[in-house]
Amino acid sequence: MTQYFAGVDIGSTMTKVVIMNKGIIAFNIGPTGPEQRRLANKVMEKALKESDLPFEAITYVVATGYGRINVPFADKQITEISCHAKGVANFFPEAKTIIEVGGQDCKGIKINNGKPVDFVMNDKCAAGTGRFLEIIADALGIKIEEMGKIGLQGKNPAKISNICTVFAEQEVVARLSEGVSLHNLVAGIHESLANRISRMVNRLHVVEEVVVTGGGAKNVGLVKALSDKLGYALAVPPEPLLTGAIGAALLGKDIADKALHDGVSLETKERSLKEIKIF
Amino acid sequence: MAEEQKKEERKRRRHATEAAGKIGPMVKATIGGTVKAREEGKSIAYAFIVCSYDEIIRAMDIVPVWTENYAGICGAKRDATRFLEKAESLNFSRSLCTYALCGLGFDQWREDLDEMPPDAPWGGQAKPDFMLSSGQILCDPRNKWYQAVQQYMPDVPIYNVGLPWPLYEDDIKIAEVEDYYIKYIVEELRGLIKFLERQTGRKMDWDRLSELVDLGERTWSLIWETYELRRAVPAPMGTGDAMNTMVPMVFMLGTQEGYDFFLELNKELKDKIARKEGVVKDEKYRLLWGGGLPSWFALSDFNYFNSKGAVFPVETTYRMIEPIYRLNIPDTNDPIERLAWRWIRYWTYWYDKARKRPGSEPDVERLIQYIEDYQIDGIVMHEAFSCRTWHLGLIWQLNQLKKIYKPIPVLILGSNRQKKDEKRELPSLILESDIVDISSYSEVDTRNRIDAFIETLEQTKKNKV
Repeated sequence: MTQYFAGVDIGSTMTKVVIMNKGIIAFNIGPTGPEQRRLANKVMEKALKESDLPFEAITYVVATGYGRINVPFADKQITEISCHAKGVANFFPEAKTIIEVGGQDCKGIKINNGKPVDFVMNDKCAAGTGRFLEIIADALGIKIEEMGKIGLQGKNPAKISNICTVFAEQEVVARLSEGVSLHNLVAGIHESLANRISRMVNRLHVVEEVVVTGGGAKNVGLVKALSDKLGYALAVPPEPLLTGAIGAALLGKDIADKALHDGVSLETKERSLKEIKIF
Repeated sequence: MAEEQKKEERKRRRHATEAAGKIGPMVKATIGGTVKAREEGKSIAYAFIVCSYDEIIRAMDIVPVWTENYAGICGAKRDATRFLEKAESLNFSRSLCTYALCGLGFDQWREDLDEMPPDAPWGGQAKPDFMLSSGQILCDPRNKWYQAVQQYMPDVPIYNVGLPWPLYEDDIKIAEVEDYYIKYIVEELRGLIKFLERQTGRKMDWDRLSELVDLGERTWSLIWETYELRRAVPAPMGTGDAMNTMVPMVFMLGTQEGYDFFLELNKELKDKIARKEGVVKDEKYRLLWGGGLPSWFALSDFNYFNSKGAVFPVETTYRMIEPIYRLNIPDTNDPIERLAWRWIRYWTYWYDKARKRPGSEPDVERLIQYIEDYQIDGIVMHEAFSCRTWHLGLIWQLNQLKKIYKPIPVLILGSNRQKKDEKRELPSLILESDIVDISSYSEVDTRNRIDAFIETLEQTKKNKV
């Protein structure tokens, strides 16, 4: 019988779902927002519709991300540290260090054979996260998706001295009015972010192969700045937003395989999709 | 119709030992005791822990008000914010030591009202007759806090005790410089006694002081022997409880009550070991609390660790003792000299060991010893943002430990896909928050980190050869 595994990654900014068999059968990415945290069922429904599978066909569901406790139909909740480790190793078996630049946090993970052995997190300050880029993009009147290419054209990155996102925004606007080019400003922003991230990640003693994932990995300018700062080439998965959800699904497969190997029954939740009741 | 909101209920923190459970009422009685002492006209001193003057003040029947302790109580009861805000309104920076900020805010408020602030935790702390500070060579707040609070109590004098110790340097032989430090500290403590005699109008009872110093030393040895029982598997007591049992260690040194507490705890732990009763039923991971004052408002995080099968058999925080026999204190009948030797020998105890291991230093050596003695699987440290004294250097210690100490054998896939043996460092976790300021704390983030750390520990155990 064909087995399918689902990974649900409810991040602070984006919610991602994948359904996997030997590869990805279907996936869905959408903004988390205040409602999505209790509407994980809707995201799952969309992915199931795309895969043309009934929910009963899913062998195992693993939820991850900050919102993982709001996925009542998940058979297990696993932190994004383990899920990203597994997901990245799926694409890069030689990976030893992962840098995940998320919407509201940033992580460094050391891995061995796809398993995490150490990690650092920055979850107290927006200055090392995707939120920093969103705020700056807004201040500059550009789309966040365009920042990477714009920044790559900056040959003299502006020095942004403030480490606080709010004050950095003020500084950027001031520099713009002084005549600093948009390309150099954005390049400077990428450098500033890369500095913050590398300071945190260097606590892990970075070892190659280094993989960047999360939404920040889609920004080619940031990836280049980070690579320059760390002194390593950085690999990026095909869809960096999905590595957590992919890892979650693959960990679900591992759990199912182990149950089969051990001859024990696989404990799963009822295959029904309901929204979580918060009050 | 408006939805009904659930009232936030704080679960009571669970203790593994009955002894730890008794500390709350003990502390409450002590704090209330200071207010009563004030009413009875007894001599009251603001004091800091670990300043080598515990037995001195006890011998002179001075009632100590442990101001750091009171700030910790306010933090634990999640009622420190108003005192921190009061201090901020007085233009003290929020980045300062939050023990000091809490104390400054409280004292100014009390003096302003000429009575305790409204609903002061456990009745509030009494105004002192004098203040005994000591920053030693570590802590600026412990030098400056009482000077700052003197603005609001100008009639309350301060004595600042100088208590240095030789720094760890590769090329300095401690034996060659110790005598200078001892001479200095003896002078400082004698000066303190003269100050106290003037303030109280009473003379020091030297025989009593000798008895209390002897009691203090016996207490140190008893505490060490008691805590060493936690080497047992399963561990009968964890760091969560130790954050309570530190009270008699550092707030009641030189009292029979303090000594008797540890006699009782010793017996309780032996009984638990005999019954193989651990902190948790299924002990999966043994962790070292490798540094950092705890978040007093979030001690239930230890219970969260426990819920994952993780226990803390040992900690460096507030384990401020060594057994006296190890300190090789020279023979002397002078109780002041004994106090000075105990001080110097405590702070330099790990120096010789550290010199024997390249790249090590005393705090790192202590971590290694505890890892080996207590069969530790991972290390947790807490970075409290407002306390540079105890927390600056923790990350360096962890980095240094990872460089020089790799005890875990694992198999890894090399670049040619061949399996090879390697030794790894212990997994570690750094929590970030504060000691008293709850605005620095996010339970969601903290527990997310703990969850990820537990998964890391699990993988490390699975990969262990």
